[in-house]
Amino acid sequence: MRKNPYQPVEADVEEIIAESPVIKTFALRPREEIPFATGQFIELSVDGIGEAPFTPSSDPNNKERIEITAMNVGSVTAGLHEIKKGQAVGIRGPYGKGYPLNEFKGKNILIVGGGVGLAPLRSLIFALLSQVNDYKKIYLRYGAKTPGDIIYKDQFSHWQEHIDIELSVDKGDSGWKGRVGVVTMLLENFKEDLNNTVSIVCGPPVMMKFATLKLRELGFPPENIYLSMEKNMSCGLGKCGHCRVGKYYVCKDGPVFNYAQLQGIPDIWD
Amino acid sequence: MRTLFLNTKDLPDFLNNLSKEYSVYVPSKIKGKGLPCDFGFKLPTHDYLWEKLSAVKKEDLAFNDYRSIESLRAFFTRSKEKLVLSDNENKIAVFGVKACDLFCLKIQDFVFSGGEIKDPFYERRRASALLISGDCLSFKEACFCLALEINPYPGEGFDLNFSVLENGFVVDVGSDKGEEAIKASAALFAPATSQALAQREEKRNALARNLSGHLERHKIPSKDVLQEIVKAGYESDIWQAEAEKCVECGACNFVCGTCHCFLLAEDRFGNAHERVRLWDCCSYANFARVAGGANPLKLRYQRVRNRYLKKFDFFPENFAISACAGCGRCIEACPAKIDIRSVLRKLNEEKSLSAR
Ligand SMILES: Cc1cc2nc3c(=O)[nH]c(=O)nc-3n(C[C@H](O)[C@H](O)[C@H](O)COP(=O)(O)OP(=O)(O)OC[C@H]3O[C@@H](n4cnc5c(N)ncnc54)[C@H](O)[C@@H]3O)c2cc1C
Ligand code: SF4
Ligand code: SF4
Ligand code: FES
Repeated sequence: MRKNPYQPVEADVEEIIAESPVIKTFALRPREEIPFATGQFIELSVDGIGEAPFTPSSDPNNKERIEITAMNVGSVTAGLHEIKKGQAVGIRGPYGKGYPLNEFKGKNILIVGGGVGLAPLRSLIFALLSQVNDYKKIYLRYGAKTPGDIIYKDQFSHWQEHIDIELSVDKGDSGWKGRVGVVTMLLENFKEDLNNTVSIVCGPPVMMKFATLKLRELGFPPENIYLSMEKNMSCGLGKCGHCRVGKYYVCKDGPVFNYAQLQGIPDIWD
Repeated sequence: MRTLFLNTKDLPDFLNNLSKEYSVYVPSKIKGKGLPCDFGFKLPTHDYLWEKLSAVKKEDLAFNDYRSIESLRAFFTRSKEKLVLSDNENKIAVFGVKACDLFCLKIQDFVFSGGEIKDPFYERRRASALLISGDCLSFKEACFCLALEINPYPGEGFDLNFSVLENGFVVDVGSDKGEEAIKASAALFAPATSQALAQREEKRNALARNLSGHLERHKIPSKDVLQEIVKAGYESDIWQAEAEKCVECGACNFVCGTCHCFLLAEDRFGNAHERVRLWDCCSYANFARVAGGANPLKLRYQRVRNRYLKKFDFFPENFAISACAGCGRCIEACPAKIDIRSVLRKLNEEKSLSAR
């Protein structure tokens, strides 16, 4: 255990992949091992600017190299997007509880992602595929604003061998042959034994809200719907008080919750 | 627990002996703004501030009647500090801690020394600090500890506790650290007589009687219903009405001994950047804002309400006690005169009205 939990470990930026005009994936090699479980998050710091929470998007089985897929939306992420290969960032973590893979065993898995929300889900997909026989059927339903906003494009064909994938965009372009509309549309005719299926949702708050409502409408029991909550975070340790939702701290008790835990708390989607 | 007796005239010597090992802080009396009592009670309005023993003149050395203005937590997490562990931190001894202060410290302990990951900055200071508490001799208009079933005299959580009698103090030794601390002054202490203990009992009861007489008029709902009324009042108009007065200064958060929220930031020191921790405040508009501008506590009334939910719902759920000691500091500090006692009372009234 590190003596000072606020002190990050330095990590060298090994590779930078442009995923979309505003999203980049950073492959980091921490100077001390930071083993994480899929769904856990880290605090990433950019020198002189500050920290922000991210869920690694890489395979948790790879302990030397952690990938972070970050959208440029504000001060820390803008600083991060300026970073060049060979520079260093700081990492603290991992924090929180990851996806409860044990509870997914033997079940169908419906993954629902929106925008950059596919980042943590990619890590989950890697984890699932590394033990693909433990699960029944795996589905991925993913929506992005435009075809240009779809991330990890080159990986879908590989995943398709094991995963039933459908994509949609809010707004198509001339080259787009797929479906157009919000991602909940892709859930419309989902047919599986719902008592033996878990759904894992990650995306912008509005998308998570409507996806959850849709899944409930389809008949998913609340405890089979897993959500990644995004709240303001500072410490990641359950101390700074920023990420409270009802009786939970998202950083410590989450960031993954099942809907049965959250259901009774007012205004969770705000 | 050992109970001893110390003559009034020997207090300065005892504190001086302590200062060989500790940086000793004592309450110094200052003129207070003081709130007049709504019900015409004549209550003291002076205040206390903790100061270094060395800065207080011998004749000004006072046993404080009640709690000081600032809360104890400032000794354990600074309002702003660099997060660099140092091995030569001062050991502190704080004299004049009150029952409400000790209650608040339970919350700080839960936050910073609890959970899987401990805060080493807090833990070190807390482990080395000597807490010398004392019975209250009177109370301020804003004090309402007893309404929350916290007695105005400490029963636990101290290293030493002082109860004032005519000519000296009954001293409870509450910990090994307390035992250690009186060793160098062993000659000054005598065993407490049963007479002294009886006198103390009488004084304690008299104060509790006076305080509950004062509190009766405020109609503060009982401790057992607080969580329920704060939750039931989620949609109440009370929050909106209080929020209209709030100026978002953050005073209520910063003076509160159970408030603990903080923000990690990078600060520039010369050419280097260092990690700092700042006390944060849920009354501020950006407290819960996330990237992209979404903010679950966007409106001021949501933030006012959040403060109550945190204290009376979150903490009972996670730690089985509410995070309010009834010290009344937030009542005195609020320029908008938002009064936690009346907020709780109104919530309770609304709840019982709606139940009819
Ligand atoms: C568990 C978790 C996992 C996440 N995973 C990912 C991911 O994989 N990929 C991804 O792209 N995004 C992810 N996010 C979102 C990401 O953390 C945010 O996009 C990021 O915090 C934005 O930081 P910023 O500084 O660029 O934005 P800003 O808008 O500048 O700031 C973001 C936050 O910091 C606070 N803040 C900034 N400055 C101050 C200040 N001066 N005072 C007070 N508060 C301030 C704001 O209130 C705001 O909450 C995740 C979020 C969480 C909670
Ligand atoms: S909420 Fe007010 S009365 Fe309660 S402990 Fe904090 S400052 Fe004291
Ligand atoms: S002290 Fe009063 S005005 Fe200031 S933030 Fe607290 S409630 Fe609002
Ligand atoms: S991020 Fe600090 S308590 Fe959750």
